[in-house]
Amino acid sequence: MSKRFPVLIGAALAVVSYSSWSQDAGHGDDLSGVWTNDPEPDTRPFQNWALTGDPPPMTDWAQERFDASRPTFGPRSVPVLETNDPVYACFPPGTPRIYMHPFPMEIVQTPGRVMMVFEYDHVVRAIYTDGRDHRTDLAPMYMGDSTGHWEGDTLVVETVNFNDKTWVDRRGVPHSEEMRVVERIQRVSEDRLRIDITVEDPVAFTETWSGQRHYRRVDWDIEEFVCMDNVNFEAYEREVLEYEGETE
Amino acid sequence: MKGRVAGALLVSSLLVVMTSASAHHGGAAYDGSETVEVIGKVTRFEFVNPHVLIYANVTDDEGNTVEWSGELTSPNRLARSQRSAVRWHKDIFQPGDDITLIGNPARSGAPSLRLQEVLNGEGVRMIGDD
Repeated sequence: MSKRFPVLIGAALAVVSYSSWSQDAGHGDDLSGVWTNDPEPDTRPFQNWALTGDPPPMTDWAQERFDASRPTFGPRSVPVLETNDPVYACFPPGTPRIYMHPFPMEIVQTPGRVMMVFEYDHVVRAIYTDGRDHRTDLAPMYMGDSTGHWEGDTLVVETVNFNDKTWVDRRGVPHSEEMRVVERIQRVSEDRLRIDITVEDPVAFTETWSGQRHYRRVDWDIEEFVCMDNVNFEAYEREVLEYEGETE
Repeated sequence: MKGRVAGALLVSSLLVVMTSASAHHGGAAYDGSETVEVIGKVTRFEFVNPHVLIYANVTDDEGNTVEWSGELTSPNRLARSQRSAVRWHKDIFQPGDDITLIGNPARSGAPSLRLQEVLNGEGVRMIGDD
């Protein structure tokens, strides 16, 4: 585990020298930079844990799993020590949930590939823009398998081949292996990024639904945030949660 | 709470809205409807992930000393915060420093806070408003 992060980050940052490269000559199709969440005012109450204010319309299959979830955010939130959120066991957050963790991401563009390097647990997404199809030879994945193409200055990303071990958000909404996520990523101004996210999953949702994320460009570095540190924090959380007063 | 907040001041009128304490998890272990302020001296300062922790000895009206703890967001988020009056770093507090901790109390009655604001010995607001 300890060797995995440097390898992934190294692979991502090896292409930093190409970061000013853009797919087309036109302005606006260079997404490079470090970006941080900058939510619209009406999404602030939930942007830290969901794409939409209300949960998406779920099938019975999904509702059963949602009811069994014990998230740490939203109206059903429980303390960390009582959650069954897989991210607290350090499984990858999945897509689009990774956007809801309040840490910046760096986008690095290179010919044929757009890399997203997330500060949260050093998660890396590779979005292939070289025209390839989705993989058919791999087992389902936490973050899915992403391909993209440019429509003008918008990068359209399709992600499939998910496993069903992640939640769509931090309030416990599940998804199946049939989930398909489409993101439209656009640099709406020099320092603003907008991501329109559409989620389809006929097993989990009765209709297609969508949400939006907004980002602001910052001059920060992508720093270290390692999920396994959560384990170190458990003792403190237990001390707070299970306090019974002084025993002497 | 179980009445263990000796020496603490309930500051219900203090309206501090911030989300930075919830980077890692929601606040179910804390009572978001109450705000408590304690004044003491720093005993430990841990600038670590996933949450920065500040410990301070607080003496109550009866002369008893209780070590309180306060939980903040992650170090990288704190250090980058544009709301802070100062730039946070790993040595910003030393044992013995005067400090005021303001935050939501633990539902269990533990002397622990989900911090909303921290004042240093000079009264500088270390978190700042949104």
